[in-house]
Amino acid sequence: MIDQLSNTLIAAQNADGGWGATPGRRSNTEATSLAVSALRSVNAGSIDDRVLRGSIWLSEHQNADGGWRLNDVATAGSWTTALAMIALSPFPEHQKRVLDAARWLVGQEGSKPGILANLILWVRGKRTVNELNADLVGWSWVPSSFSWVEPTSYALTALKKVRSSLADTNVNERIQQGEAMIYDRMCKGGGWNYGNSKVMDYALWPYPDITAIALIALQDRAREPANQRSLQSLQKTAAEVNSGLASSWAALCFDLYGQETREWQSLIEKGFEKNGFLGETKTLALALMGFNGKTNPFRI
Amino acid sequence: MLRRDFLKYSALGSLYPMVAGCDQSAKWGRAAFRKKDSSRVAILSAARYDQPLRDTIIRGIEVCGLEVRGKRILLKPNLVEFDPKGVINTHPAVVEAAIDSFRSLGAAQVVVAEGPGHRRDNEYLLSASGLYDVIKEHRVRYIDLNSDDVRSTPLRSSFTDLKQLYLPETLYNADLLVSMPKLKTHHWAGVTLSLKNMFGVVPGAVYGWPKNILHWQGIHQSILDINSSLPLPQFAIVDGIVGMEGNGPLQGRAKNSGVLIFGDDLVAVDATSARVMKIEPQKIDYLAKAGEFLGNLYQDKIQQIGERLERVQQDFTVIEDFEHLKKMTS
Repeated sequence: MIDQLSNTLIAAQNADGGWGATPGRRSNTEATSLAVSALRSVNAGSIDDRVLRGSIWLSEHQNADGGWRLNDVATAGSWTTALAMIALSPFPEHQKRVLDAARWLVGQEGSKPGILANLILWVRGKRTVNELNADLVGWSWVPSSFSWVEPTSYALTALKKVRSSLADTNVNERIQQGEAMIYDRMCKGGGWNYGNSKVMDYALWPYPDITAIALIALQDRAREPANQRSLQSLQKTAAEVNSGLASSWAALCFDLYGQETREWQSLIEKGFEKNGFLGETKTLALALMGFNGKTNPFRI
Repeated sequence: MLRRDFLKYSALGSLYPMVAGCDQSAKWGRAAFRKKDSSRVAILSAARYDQPLRDTIIRGIEVCGLEVRGKRILLKPNLVEFDPKGVINTHPAVVEAAIDSFRSLGAAQVVVAEGPGHRRDNEYLLSASGLYDVIKEHRVRYIDLNSDDVRSTPLRSSFTDLKQLYLPETLYNADLLVSMPKLKTHHWAGVTLSLKNMFGVVPGAVYGWPKNILHWQGIHQSILDINSSLPLPQFAIVDGIVGMEGNGPLQGRAKNSGVLIFGDDLVAVDATSARVMKIEPQKIDYLAKAGEFLGNLYQDKIQQIGERLERVQQDFTVIEDFEHLKKMTS
């Protein structure tokens, strides 16, 4: 299975060294970062030429300010920057790039209400529609917008891997803020979706992929009751959803929490045989990482 | 958190005109104008999803005078989320019949594409909704618009502050974009139909999930800028066999309506669909504004074919904030 997943991923590599979202699409930072992380995780002792070319693609596409854009036309994103940091962090030759990115990431904040907006909103609004605290700031998908769970989780994971090298920044404060934001957005009963636990008095449900991504970011707080409830939620929803993405993230998450992952690896294998994960680079790479189980790139 | 906070920070829209100024009179130019003298909309009966729908869809396409032979057709259903107890998405039977219909009418190519607004797990959404079986059986390509290659596109209107729009390359490789929404009420926009369905063509990889930049810019304003700037002709097939009332687009109740609604003027289609729900289209901000330059809003400019409106109208409930939309004046 590892060979099958690796070969499929290798076959999808573009001539420029990067990977696109699916074979034939232009290389982008998310797909390339995950593919590099995955292929390196199965062969951590030596640097394969494919991995090297992928890491070079990433290094050549870093912005002057330290961040990474998704591709040549998109604006900078905290999520793509965090994924590139995670991919390059095992490479000694890229440590300066990783720290430059970390400093950029520490400076990024999701937006929150201004004074004027708050005043107008206070005058106009009376009805409670959800329970999220908009003053808790994490990271946004795109600069100058609201904080959401997935980009915040990626940022926390990436920053926690290098926080000891960022003593001259406010990284610890930003990590605390991000963690508070994620816990605030947790669904009733545990787990997370994109970032709304309730809308218009109706509870929304958790997604297994996002739950696993958030739990990975909070792996150093494993004993928190919220983490434990969310692990139970993940167990249930990942089995119900039974997709390559859900099973792969679940395997990676449960591995970090010291739990058995064979159930998820079995689902990964069956899912790949069923539909090849629709050829999505992201899922193939996560499946390879989740199935391999030897080196977990998301360990902080 | 208060409702108005939420509108601003999570789904948002109503505050934008207050802060930015309410004068939106010069928000579109000649390049954006595509309103015709009159438009044709067909309302055709379709009682159930398990009945043959292909002939109904072919009829809807033909009575609207749409020529599809040799064209590359891009079907854009509404596939936003899945709830086993709900009726959130365009039913796969309607998508299947549309694939079959366009192929039998001589389309050069039919693909299905969507950029789900909440979930990134395409495999799950496709499988759970039943759409995976359809595209597999009919050997149709499915394209995830959220992660497609993108191209920067100049806006033809300026209701938002966006400087340009990033759109999937797939749109530039098609000749006709068919919006296939569900007939639904919407707790922020009033209704979600063929124009609102175009939020799904905007890539999450650029705008995030739940496409938050567009929400910051205002839902009504974003609907207008997206639809005025699409780079290819459009057609609409609204799945109103079973719609959704109340707290749509995700948590409303099923409402049997038994219709499919067709047309090449998306404003006219949405206005007619709103009337089917007994909702006043001109009271919906984005429809009222779209009626100035994108298409026809008023019944005297819409040539309606098929079922009489009065015969198929259903009283769709709306949330308290939109009760005013139910006071019909036309």
